[in-house]
Amino acid sequence: MLAVGTSGPLLHSVFLMTTTLTTTSNAISLYGVSRVFGRGAAAVHAVDDVTLEFPRGGWTAVMGPSGSGKSTLLHCAAGLEKVDSGRVLLGDADLTAASDAELTALRRTRIGFVFQSFNLIGALTAEQNVALPLRLAGQRPRRADVRATLDAVGLADRARHKPRELSGGQQQRVAIARAMVTRPEVLFADEPTGALDSTAARTVLDLMRAMADAGQSIVMVTHDPGAAARADSVVFLRDGRVVDMLAGATAHQVADRLAEWER
Amino acid sequence: MLGMSRAGLAERWTLFVGALLSVALGVALVQSSLLLLISAATFDPPPGVSEAERMQISDGATAAVSMLGVVLGGAVFLAGFVISSTFAFTVDQRRRDLALLRLVGGGRGHVRRLLLGEALLLGLAGAGLGIPAGLQVMALQAWLMRRFEFVPEGFTGQWRMWILGVSFGTGILLAVAGVLVAARRAARVRPLEALRESGPAARVMTAGRWIAGLIFLGGALALMIVAPHGGPSGGVAMAMNVAMPASVAVVAFAPLLVPLIARLMPVGGGVLGSLARASVRDARRRSASVAAPLIVLVALVVGNTAAGVSFTASGVDELKRTTHADFVVEGRGPAGAVPGVAAVSTELALPGEVTYGEGEYEEVVGASVLVVDPAAYSAIHGTPVTLAGRTAVAGPGGDVPRVGPVRLRLPGGDLGELPVTGSVPAALSGGASLLLPRGLVPEAQLAEASAVSFVALEPGADRAAVRAALARTGPVSDLDDWLRADAATRDDTNRKVMLIVLGLGGLYALIGVVNAIVIGAATRRREFAEARVTGLTRGQVIRAALLEAYAVTGAGLVLGALAAGGAFIAVLATTSAVTGTANLDIPWTLVGGVVLVALTVTGLTSLITSWSATRRAPVTLLAARE
Repeated sequence: MLAVGTSGPLLHSVFLMTTTLTTTSNAISLYGVSRVFGRGAAAVHAVDDVTLEFPRGGWTAVMGPSGSGKSTLLHCAAGLEKVDSGRVLLGDADLTAASDAELTALRRTRIGFVFQSFNLIGALTAEQNVALPLRLAGQRPRRADVRATLDAVGLADRARHKPRELSGGQQQRVAIARAMVTRPEVLFADEPTGALDSTAARTVLDLMRAMADAGQSIVMVTHDPGAAARADSVVFLRDGRVVDMLAGATAHQVADRLAEWER
Repeated sequence: MLGMSRAGLAERWTLFVGALLSVALGVALVQSSLLLLISAATFDPPPGVSEAERMQISDGATAAVSMLGVVLGGAVFLAGFVISSTFAFTVDQRRRDLALLRLVGGGRGHVRRLLLGEALLLGLAGAGLGIPAGLQVMALQAWLMRRFEFVPEGFTGQWRMWILGVSFGTGILLAVAGVLVAARRAARVRPLEALRESGPAARVMTAGRWIAGLIFLGGALALMIVAPHGGPSGGVAMAMNVAMPASVAVVAFAPLLVPLIARLMPVGGGVLGSLARASVRDARRRSASVAAPLIVLVALVVGNTAAGVSFTASGVDELKRTTHADFVVEGRGPAGAVPGVAAVSTELALPGEVTYGEGEYEEVVGASVLVVDPAAYSAIHGTPVTLAGRTAVAGPGGDVPRVGPVRLRLPGGDLGELPVTGSVPAALSGGASLLLPRGLVPEAQLAEASAVSFVALEPGADRAAVRAALARTGPVSDLDDWLRADAATRDDTNRKVMLIVLGLGGLYALIGVVNAIVIGAATRRREFAEARVTGLTRGQVIRAALLEAYAVTGAGLVLGALAAGGAFIAVLATTSAVTGTANLDIPWTLVGGVVLVALTVTGLTSLITSWSATRRAPVTLLAARE
């Protein structure tokens, strides 16, 4: 179901084939998206004319060498970064045309984030962190709902702990619970296992796999082939362009392909 | 949002201690000054004092009320200044937290409400601390006022129940007003900034800063330009008010100016010196925040003190030039009978109460009255005075209309309505408000007057002999000595007012400096840890921070001097316009004291904070994230 396209000839046909599909079957769609940092000779094309559709209910990993633009691509897809040209659609809502207030509303209803550095609010307990997006949306979350969300990530007994009293893996699971509490259409994950040891990383990936199997759309940036192999498909980026894709690959296959593009 | 505000305050309380202290001190000062002001305004002289004493007490109470008004205004200005800059800096140091809130779906309104909620809690807590502290401050202020004889013994501040409401209101108002600008700015934080370890440095010279800076610069320049044309009393008042807007203007431009000047500070070469210099340049916001209260401190204390001293000296010079006398004899002995004396002007001073204007424009002012012999006065003071029958002339002190009728009341009797028929030139050092002829005041009322005689010698007279002869009629001084002593007595009140106002202001500004350094260091743990894993020892990190603090302090002192320079220019222009000779006395001892105190306070604070911020091993800091 994954469709990729760049201006490069290699994938052009794939792109043409898939543009006939209705956009609403995609969780996120990027059309001709570019993002340039700096000006003149110092300009860096972090994302260069990327067209890419992330299917609903699938887990897609984005890989590439350092500086390939994968984090910028994720930020653009999530409406965190303004694009210089092109369009980004969440379902059929155009993020590129959305105002700050509309993007804020989307962030607390239809989009969830998980980051490498957890980004929990240190002053709040695990359960307060999880309840925060709902409270920001003006709801009065029921304690039972919040506990259930924490329970789903296996941390029901850590509800009253503050982030600094939790291990890295536990903090990341709280962050996932916080992202999932609003039942978002898409979960964006930027190197979610980057700061974790292998055991904690496996727990987090198992959790994400279970979520994807239950129909959650996930877009994940990673440089760990092991993590990417857990996804349904892998997109490879280089110099801001989509250069390759794999579906149902093993960690070895992903690592080999990545090594080719890093050469 | 209030729950999150509370959690935020509890978690990062070190960031807020400074803001809390400045709110508490602001509330304490405002409450104390307000209670004393009301107590002084409603103060009744104790029964059984003479009318002259009663007039003096009410004159003192009027001075006390206006002094407390100045203290009140100054307290509000400094509290607003220190609190808003502390809040702005606190918010700036938490950009990442705020961006995080935006990332999980917080809108701009949430960020604003969060910060306003924090300000509300800080305002309440600050008032809670400030109210009891205010009672201590009031006891101290009342003691100072009794000590400086603004008010008689037995005067105390009276507690009023409604002040509780005022104090809580003041605390909340100061805190919320202080955070408003910062909250607006913070609401513009972009969510993506939460993901960057060190986001792009926020723009420090905002449009608001430019506008505020230019407005206050314009205000300072306007005062400097108009002051020389304001006459003696108006010019002095304007020149004394240049330092405040000038310092605010310099503070507004501080993010541009501080790094520029700090670079010129001699912090030494070597790796630590260059590290300190790079830090100052890089952390423009932090450097400007530390320098800002120092700029205000130096500008107000040095600028205003120098202006006061210069005007006094200039006033004495002016009198020396215009008074054609050699000696001054106290008392009313027959100085004129001494051989070798050419002219004597015996002048009797009385306190009085002048009423002028009609209906609702009627004003009653305390005034000093001088009873003179017009011819002798003209000869000695070199200005024609025509006084005959029931007429008065406006004196060198101003304060009363220069023409038209006034009602005059002296101790022991009302003199009724008198026409003011002329005036003598106003003098920089002030003096009597009204001159009266000898025959107008009954001898009985003159009995209590204090008398001085200005004595001019005949050409070729033997000074020593005349002086010896004069000494038999009363204490004799050389004119110059007497003028200086007289100016000092008359300026006494002013100096005491300045001491109280500037002392409190200075204290407040120093708290602002400490705040800025503490807040800055609280968020620098990681930076220090990075320096240490790069190979610097803990001692080197602390020394580099100290050098940086000194570079910023130096820049703050220089910029404060720049703002004070505005006041100096106004003083030079005004003294030149009024007396014909430009005059500027800079109190170097005070300047040295201010520099010493500033360096000590910033040095100590920097040492303590960077020592405590480097207590943990660097690796634990670098590994640990939220």
